Amino acid sequence: MRVPFEWLCELASVGAPVDEVAGRLTDAGFEVAEIHRAGEHWDRVVVGEVVRLDPHPNADRLNLPTVTTGADEIQVVCGAWNFAVGDKIAFAHEGARLWDAYSDEPRLKELKPTKIRGVVSRGMLCSNRELGLSDDHEGILILEPDAPVGRPLTEVLGDEVIEFELKANRPDALSVLGIAREAAALFGAEVSSPIPGAREGDGEPWPTVELVIDDPALCARYSAAFVRDIQVTESPAWLRKRLELAGMRPINTIVDVTNYVMLETGQPLHAFDWDTIRGGLIGVRTARPGERLVSLDGQDRELTGETLCIVDGEGPVALAGVMGGLATEVTDATSTVLLESATFDPVSIRRTAHRLALRSEASRRFEKGLPPELTEPALRRCVQLIESIGAGRGEFLSADAYPSPSGPEPVSLHFDRIEHLMGLAYERAEVRRALEALAFDVTETDDLLHVQPPFWRRDVTTPADVVEEVARLLGYDRIPNTLPTGGVTDVVPGELDPRDDELRDVMIGLGFTECVTYALTSEARLARLVSPDLLDADLESPLGDAETWDEVHRSAMNDAGRALTDRLLPLHRAPLQIRNPLSSDESTLRLTGLSTMLETLRANRRHTDRDLLLFECQPTFLPRADDLPDEPLLLTAVIGERLSAGRWNETATVELPFVRGIVDEVLARSGVDLSTVAHDEVRHPTFTPGQAAGAMQGRRTVAAYGAIEPDVAAAYGLDERAWALLVDVAALREASAGPPSFAAWSDYPAALRDLAVVVDEGVTQAEVLETIRRAGRPLLTAVRMFDEYRGEQIAAGKRSLAYALSYAAPDRTLTDKEADKAHNRVIRALQHRLGADLRS
Amino acid sequence: MQERIDELLAAARAELSQAGSDAALEAWRVAHLGRRSALTGILRSIRDLPPDERRAAGQAANAARQSLEEALAAHRDSLSRREDESGADVTMPGYPVRLGRLHPLTRTLREIRAVLAPLGFRAVSGPEVEWDRYNFELLNIPADHPARDMWDTFHLQQQARPGDLLLRTHTSPVQARVMEQVRPPVRVIVPGKVYRYENRDASHESEFMQVEGLAIDEHITMADLRGTLTHFVRAMFGPDRELRIRASYFPFTEPSAEAEMSCHACDGGGCSVCGGSGWIEILGAGMVHPTVLANVGYDPEVYQGFAFGMGVERIAMLKYGVTDIRSFYRNDLRFLRQFH
Repeated sequence: MRVPFEWLCELASVGAPVDEVAGRLTDAGFEVAEIHRAGEHWDRVVVGEVVRLDPHPNADRLNLPTVTTGADEIQVVCGAWNFAVGDKIAFAHEGARLWDAYSDEPRLKELKPTKIRGVVSRGMLCSNRELGLSDDHEGILILEPDAPVGRPLTEVLGDEVIEFELKANRPDALSVLGIAREAAALFGAEVSSPIPGAREGDGEPWPTVELVIDDPALCARYSAAFVRDIQVTESPAWLRKRLELAGMRPINTIVDVTNYVMLETGQPLHAFDWDTIRGGLIGVRTARPGERLVSLDGQDRELTGETLCIVDGEGPVALAGVMGGLATEVTDATSTVLLESATFDPVSIRRTAHRLALRSEASRRFEKGLPPELTEPALRRCVQLIESIGAGRGEFLSADAYPSPSGPEPVSLHFDRIEHLMGLAYERAEVRRALEALAFDVTETDDLLHVQPPFWRRDVTTPADVVEEVARLLGYDRIPNTLPTGGVTDVVPGELDPRDDELRDVMIGLGFTECVTYALTSEARLARLVSPDLLDADLESPLGDAETWDEVHRSAMNDAGRALTDRLLPLHRAPLQIRNPLSSDESTLRLTGLSTMLETLRANRRHTDRDLLLFECQPTFLPRADDLPDEPLLLTAVIGERLSAGRWNETATVELPFVRGIVDEVLARSGVDLSTVAHDEVRHPTFTPGQAAGAMQGRRTVAAYGAIEPDVAAAYGLDERAWALLVDVAALREASAGPPSFAAWSDYPAALRDLAVVVDEGVTQAEVLETIRRAGRPLLTAVRMFDEYRGEQIAAGKRSLAYALSYAAPDRTLTDKEADKAHNRVIRALQHRLGADLRS
Repeated sequence: MQERIDELLAAARAELSQAGSDAALEAWRVAHLGRRSALTGILRSIRDLPPDERRAAGQAANAARQSLEEALAAHRDSLSRREDESGADVTMPGYPVRLGRLHPLTRTLREIRAVLAPLGFRAVSGPEVEWDRYNFELLNIPADHPARDMWDTFHLQQQARPGDLLLRTHTSPVQARVMEQVRPPVRVIVPGKVYRYENRDASHESEFMQVEGLAIDEHITMADLRGTLTHFVRAMFGPDRELRIRASYFPFTEPSAEAEMSCHACDGGGCSVCGGSGWIEILGAGMVHPTVLANVGYDPEVYQGFAFGMGVERIAMLKYGVTDIRSFYRNDLRFLRQFH
C-alpha cells in the first residue's frame, strides 16, 4: 500500500517529517517497506518548454527540440516524438542524475554532454522511467500546461510516498484514512475526515433501483447512488497525481474517482452505466448453471456456482468484488451512472479471485473483511468528488440494502489484565487516552474496562486485542526485560534425542563433514539409484510400483538386500508427491537420503579428488495409508574412492573393510555390542555385488554399506568407485545395549598365540572368528584378525586368515601348558568344523 | 700418576664436548687415544715403574682409556642423532589428518539450544509433513483466511483420508502438538526444517530451518518474552546488543511483535549488514493467542505465555557473514570446511 505523504498529512496534521512518521507507524505495527522520494535526485531537472522542433540532419528517427528554461534556450537530440512545440516537459541539465532507462538493475547515471550523429546534445527531455516515477519509457513525460517554466521539477512533481507492508488483520489500514487515523493517534493529531455529511435530496426526480440480496451472508450490505450528467473526461491534475503516486493509473473521471475513494477510505466502488442495466434491478447472488459473463478484460467467462455475481433483471453484469462486466462499463457515451458500494463475504471473494487469478486492489480489500458501515460514507465521498470536479451530479444515497445490521461488539476486561499479560503496570488514564485516541469508546465500572471499538475495527474482539492496542500505542519500548519464572516441564513428547548429536559428533571424529540436503527431489532423480539395466521400460513411474519392482529386481536381491527396502532404500514405494512443485526436479519427497548425498558427492568431486567423506542425518518420508508419513531419521554417508594415507601425497583406495571399520565404530559408540551384530552380504541393485553388506541384529537391519554399483555411480556422474553407508537411527537405538557397564579385565599377563588358518573361499571370516570364539572359551579374552593371504603358497580356491589370540585368567598367570591346551582346542575346532588347515 | 691421569681425562672430556664434526672427533681420537697421545705414553711408561706400582697404574690408565673410548662413542652417537635432527625442516606441512565439520546450521542450532536450555527450554521435534489442521487451523488460521497468504504452501497430492496434507510452513504446528499432550507449565523450543512455495534467491529458500520457542504458564508475560529475547540476542551476538520490539501481526499471537537487534556489525551506526538502519530484524514473537490456547484445551483465562520463531539460516548468515542462503544447501566442502 502506497500512501502519498502529502495526502496523509491532509487527513492527519501530524506535523512531523516523513521519516519520523514512518518510524512511529512501523513501531505501532504498520511496517514501512520503503519511503519513496520522487525527486530526490532531481537537483538539475527543471520545467522546460519546447519552443522549436527541428529534424535531425543525419537521422530520420531523431529530432532536435529546442527547450527554454526561462534563462536559456538549449537544443538537444531526442528520440521521442510524443510532444509538440509548446509542451511543458521535464528538462535535465548536464550533470543531472537520472535513472538509466536501459539497465535492468535500477542505476543512477550522470547526464553528460554528447554528440549524437554529429549533433551536440546538452541536456535531455526525460521519460517517467528516467525520473524514477514509473517504468514508463514510451515517450517523454509531458507536464501540465500551467507548469512554471524554469522552476525545479520537484515543485511540480516531487513527493514522498510511504510504502507499507500491511498485515492481514487490518483491512481499515488499506486506506489513506486508516493510516491517517493511526498516525493521528500516535502523534496526538486530529483526523480531518474527507467524508461529507449526509444531505437532503434536491427534489429532482431520480431513477430508482430495486436491490435484491439473495444471501446476506454473502453480501451484508449493498448501497447505491445515482449520478447523472456524467462527463467522462480526463481527471484534474491533482487527482491524477495522487493516483499515480499511490500506484494506480489514471483512466477517466469516473474510474479515477472510484479508485481515489477506494484508496482514501478503503471501500471499493464500482460504477455501472445505468442505461445498460436491465429491469431497473440490481441483485447479488451466486451464479446459476450455464451463466456466462464477458468481464471488463474482454474474457468470456463461464461462471461456476460458487461465483458471487451482481445481476440485473436478466443476468450477471459483474463478478462481485472482483471485476466488472464489459457490457455495463462506463464509456464516453454514459450519461447516468449507478455507483455500487457494497460489503461482500471475504471468503467468497477470496475464492473467486484465486480461482480466476484476478486479484485486484478491490478484491484484496474485500478479502480482508470490510465493515458494512463503510459503504454509505464512501458513496457520499464519491458523489461529492464527482461533483467537485464537474464530472456529474448525484444523490449521496439512492438505495441501500442492509438486511441485518451488525457492528463490532464491546469488549470488557479487567484493568489488571493488561499488566498481567504485559508484565508492565500502566496508568489508568493513559490506557483510556490511548484507546480513545484510536476512536474506541471507553467506559469503566469498578475494575472493568468496557471498550467499544469503532465500526472499522472489527479485528478487536478479545481482551488480548485491547491489550495490544494499548501496548502498541503506548510503545513496546516501555516493556521491561524479565525472565519467565515458575515451573518447567519434566517430560516432553518428541524431545530431541541427545544421542543424535553424539552420532553426528562421532561422524565428525571419523572424518566426515556434515551436509544438509533438500528433502524435495524427484522420482527421476531417485530412479538413478537403480542400476539402469535393471530398470524396465514398462515401469509406469521411473521407480515402478511395488509389484513390478519386486519382480524386476527379485533376481538382483537376496534377503539382506530386500531388508534394505524396508526403511533404508524403499525405492519400490511410491513417494509422496507435491501438488504444486516449484519444478519437476523437486516434485516428490525423498524416500532415502542416498540420492541427494550421491549428488553432493559428485558436486564436490568436481573440485576435490580425495578425502570426500560426507554425511547427513535427516529424515526421509515413507508414505503411510491414511496417516502422516513415517519420517525415520537416517544417517547417510558417502565416501569417494581415494583417501589420504601416510605421507603428504600418498593415498589409499577405499575398500569394504574400511567402511566396515566405520560401521563398527559408529555401532560401538552407539552402545551396540558388536558381537550381537552379524554382517551379511547384501545383493541389491544399488550396490556392487560382493562389495556390500548389511549389519543385522537379529532380523533388524541396523546399517547397510558398500560400493555403489558402477552404473548407478555413473548415473550420478561419478566415474570412479563411490561408497555409501546408511544407518537407520531408530534401529541403532534399539540395537544399543544401553549405557556402558563396567567389566573388569585380568591384570595378569595374557598368553599370546598367533594362528594362520587356510580355509575354503566359501568359508567366511565371520565363521572362522565365531569358531575361534566358541572353542576358546573361557580363557580366550581377545581375538583379532590381522591378515588375509591368497597366493602361491596356498592352494587355489583357498585363503589364509591370520589371527592374534590372547588367553588369560582373571585370578592368575596362565601356565604355558594351560594356554597351549586352550589354543589346541581352538585349532582342533577349526580343523573339525571348518576343514581348516593350519599354516605354519 | 693417578693425578696425572685425572688431569688428562678432564682435559680430554672438555675437549670432546667441543668437538662438533667427524673430523674434530677423529682429531680428538688421535690426540687423546692415538699412539702419540699422552695416555698411550703413560701406558708405555708403566713398565718403567717399580713393580709394586705397575699394577695400580696399569689399571688406572686402562680404565681411563676405556672411559675415553666410551665417551667418544657416546659423543659420536649423540652427534649423529643431532645431525639427523638438524637436517629437518620444521616448516614442512603436516601429513593429512582428517576431522569432519558440523554443518553450520547444526552448529547454529546447537548454539541456540545451548543458550535457551538453561532457561528451561527443552528441544522437541515434530513431523515435517503436516495436516492443515496443525499447520493452520489450530493456530487460528482458518481456511480462506487472508493470513494464509503469509505462508506460501506446498501441498501434497491428496491421500485417501480427507484433510489436507502439506509441508509445514513453520515449526509452529509442533506448539499445538506439544500443548495437546502436556499440561502447563510448558517450555520448549522446536528446531526443524520448514518449507515455503517460494522461488530461491540469495535471501529466500524453499526449504529452511526454523526454531520455535514456546513458554506457557499462569504468569508468563510479554516482559518475560522481551527478557528472554534480549538474553538470547546478547548470548548469540554479544553483550552489547540491544533488542527492540515493534508491533506486528501473526494470527497465533496477540499482542504480536517483530524483534530487532542493534546491528552487531556496526553497533547500530548503520552499515550494509543492517541496510543503514542500525537494526536487524531477527525474529517474530508474541503472546500466544487465546484461541490457540483454547484450541489445544488450555483455559485461556488461566494460562498464558509467549511464542517466538526465527530462521536459523538468518541467524547463521548474520553470525558468520554468509551472504547467500542457498550456500547452506549446496554442501560444498569449500563452504562447509570453513565452520570449524
